[in-house]
Parts: sequence; C-alpha cells; structure tokens
Amino acid sequence: MTPVVSEDQGKGDLPVLEVSALDFSYSAGLTKTPVVQGLSLKIFPSEIVTILGASGCGKTTLLNLIAGLIAPIQGSIKVTANSGERGRIGYIFQQDALFPWRTVRDNILLALHLDPSRKKDVSESRMNTYLETFHLPQSVLAKYPSQLSGGMRQRVSIIQSLMFEPELLLLDEPFSALDFYTKLRLEAEFYQLIKREKRAAILVTHDIDEAIALSDRVLIMDRSGNFTENFSINLGSSRDPEQARGAPEFSSYYQKIWKELKAVIQE
Amino acid sequence: MNTTSHSRFTKTVGHFLLCLLPLLFFIFAWELATAWEPKRQFIFSTPLKVWNALITLTLSGSLFKHACITVWEAVCGFLLGTSLGAVVGLSFWHSRLAARIARPYISMIGSIPIFAMAPIIIVWFGIGITSKIALAFLPTFIVAVTQSYQGAMSVEQRFLRMMQVVGAKRMQVFRLLVIPSSIVWVVNAMKLNIGLALLGAFVGEFISSEQGLGYLIVKASGLYDMATVFAGVIALAAIALILTAAVDQLERYLLRWKAPEAT
Repeated sequence: MTPVVSEDQGKGDLPVLEVSALDFSYSAGLTKTPVVQGLSLKIFPSEIVTILGASGCGKTTLLNLIAGLIAPIQGSIKVTANSGERGRIGYIFQQDALFPWRTVRDNILLALHLDPSRKKDVSESRMNTYLETFHLPQSVLAKYPSQLSGGMRQRVSIIQSLMFEPELLLLDEPFSALDFYTKLRLEAEFYQLIKREKRAAILVTHDIDEAIALSDRVLIMDRSGNFTENFSINLGSSRDPEQARGAPEFSSYYQKIWKELKAVIQE
Repeated sequence: MNTTSHSRFTKTVGHFLLCLLPLLFFIFAWELATAWEPKRQFIFSTPLKVWNALITLTLSGSLFKHACITVWEAVCGFLLGTSLGAVVGLSFWHSRLAARIARPYISMIGSIPIFAMAPIIIVWFGIGITSKIALAFLPTFIVAVTQSYQGAMSVEQRFLRMMQVVGAKRMQVFRLLVIPSSIVWVVNAMKLNIGLALLGAFVGEFISSEQGLGYLIVKASGLYDMATVFAGVIALAAIALILTAAVDQLERYLLRWKAPEAT
C-alpha cells in the first residue's frame, strides 16, 4: 500500500514519521493473530493525524510499534528530526504516567534528571513557558500528582513529554477521561502548541468530534490493521478546536467519517 | 481552638477512652478473679502486684537496663535485616534468574521457626549480644527480601513504558522508578519486622542470656514471681508500641505523596 499522506503535504518538509510496509502479529502458542498488516504512513511537521477504528483493531499497537515498545515483524519505522538526526518521541497515555512520589516540578524535570547534559536554567525556563501555555499556576509545582485534578494531571503529563523535545507526540485517548469543558480547553491548548512549535502528533480516539476538531487528517483503521480511508480536514489553519465544532463543514465531515467508521465496525 | 479542631480533639479523646475500655474491663476482671484467692494469685498474680513490681523495677533501674538491652538487640537486628534485605530484594530486579534460584532457599529459611535456629546461632555467635542481634536479623532479612522483591516486580507497566519511550537507561529505571515505587513494600516489611525483631531478640535471651527482658522474664518465672513476669511482658508490649509508632511516623514521611485515605 502507498504511504497515506495528505494532498498538500510532502512538498517542502521532510516527514517526521515514515512507516513502510509494517507487519505485526501477536503470538499465543502456535497461533498468530495479525494486528497490523502492510501498513504505511507519513506524517509531516505541524500535522495532527487522528486514527479512528473499532476497539481492538490495532490502534494502540500501532502507537506502541512507533514508540519502539514492541518490535515489528516486518517493515520499517523512521522518526526523523529537522536536522536529519533520529527524532524523539513523546507518548501520552489515557492514564497519565506521572510518578506519584515526585512533585509536579520533579515530574516535569524528569528529562533533566535523565539527561544531565541538559542545562538546568534552560529546562526551568521551558517548564515555566509551558506552565503558562497550559494555564497552570506556579503553585502547582510543589504539589504531588495525587493533589491534582484529572485535567491538571493530563496537562502536567503533556508538559513532561514536551520537556523531552519530541518531534512526534503519540496520544492514546488522552482526553477521554476528562469532563467536556476541561477537554475543550486542553484540546485548544494542545492544538495551538503543536502548530506553534511545528511538532507532529498522532492521536488515537473514539470521539469523532474530537478527531475532526483537532486534526489535519483522520485515518480510519479496519480490523485487518490497515487504513481504509484518509480524510483531509480543512477547517482553516488558525482555527480553535471549539470553534471548529461550529463550522458549517463540520457536520459533513462527521457524516462521511461516521459512515466509513460504521462500515469498518460492522465488518 | 476553633470549633472544628475542638470537635476533632473531643473525637480523638473519645476514641482513646473507648480503646481503653477493654483494657480496664480486663484489669477489673483480673483483680476480681484473684483478689481473694491466694492460689490464683500465685499463678496469675494480681494487677496491683504487677503495678508494684513495675514501680519497684523502674525505680531500681533494672527494668530500664534490661529493656535497653532488648531494644538495642532488636533495633540492630531490625535495621541490619531490613536494610540488607531491601537491598538484596531490590537487586533481584536486575536478574530474574538469580531471583528464581534464590526463591526456594528464601522460602525454606523463612519457614524455619526461629526457635529451631536459636541454638545454632548461639553456638556460632556465643551467648553475648551478637547472637541476639543475629536472631533478630534473620527473620527480618527474609521478610525484607521477599517484600522488596515483590515491590520491585510490581512496578506499574505504564511507568515502565514511559521510561522506555524516553530512552531511560536500566540503572536510571532502577534508581528513579523501581526503588521509589517499592518503598510502600519496604515500609510494609518494616511494620512486619518490628514484631519479628523483638521476637528474635527475646528468643535469644530466653534460651541463653544474662541480660535483657527475656532473661528477666525467664529468671522471674523460674522463681514463680509472676508479677515480675507480667512487668517484663508489659515492658515488651510498650517497646513494640513505641517502635511501631516510630515506623508509622517514618511511613507518614516516606509516603507523604500518597493521597489521604477517605475517612
């Protein structure tokens, strides 16, 4: 299968992610269950790509493959930074991975603690910038994760990932456990950040509204572990995910995506 | 004092008095059962005689001297056993093979009653304080190894995946994730080990010693001085309470990040 790319991409920038002919199966004894088959995908800087599909179709497995948590049977995965070097990846899970015994500050500065070659003052200044971006007060730094609300924890989790300066962010249903208002705010903050810092993101969700409002592209994954459809979403580049939900084209995208998704789920 | 803290204070005092009720009832029943029965007094003593023995032993400094020795033996064994056990247990995270080889030996040693080990330990280390420390060390070491290994192997997958994604090295995963997330298990080991350390020290003194609460109790029971026996037992209970309270404080500090439990 040819790599799934958007119509207006691939002209100037190098892809951040290039996945070619990827195969992966889960083995249980002698039985092999194919999860991803011959999948190819390209993602470019500033792009937000959402993957929709039935439960258990292999969306999270694909993220795990890209993150290097599991190894593919066949195919290649290349994450490239702007400089041409190997790119870094940030992975945000549905349930945050903040260490409960570390304060918010120590959780955010994990990148500094893992890589002493990073400069402390630069890391702290980046941390403060992100706190402003995500509307978190300085007072939150001294708290432990257990003292934060779900929305705050997820913000801290995103900041923690961003501190590693990843070229590609993988998000596995990161907003699904949040209330609607918090979700809208966090989506807006996240969208603006991706566009401003020219990072790329792959979002896995079950929420079609969220997929359309946040993404440049929506990919539908079928049960054979491949993409059946690639929807380019054009709702204006300076959009806000909240306003995007009120755009006239929104319901048309919704209808098309839902029709395709329904077909895939009922397969 | 505002209304909230006043009501909290009243509640605490109320709880304390409620906790005292069974003890007061027990003392009352004990006194009632033995007051006019010299035969029973010989076997069970009486609360008043026990109280007098406690006062006499305290004023003479004898109780304090024996208690200090028992505490020293138990605390040394506890600290050595728990810390070394935690180090060994956590280290098994690096090698599942080593853990698998060690497991049956640890289970075997852990299931041997300390009374059976005591003569061997005393022959090896003599009748001095070292053998009592060794008897306190042995069970606490086993418990600490088992608990901390369990803790190291129970690290949540989402944390391990996150560390893998960000490229953490194995030693960094151990230092920043495995050790701190196992603290809960090590604290549990500490709680279990208080009683085990005291038991080890006491068994050592009971079998062969010239000092310590175990010695005091054995000597008094040989003379049928039941009041002194009870005084020794009360001192042991008080030491266990104090050491448990100290571990509770340490737990509150080490696990200060935990969400307060709903009351």
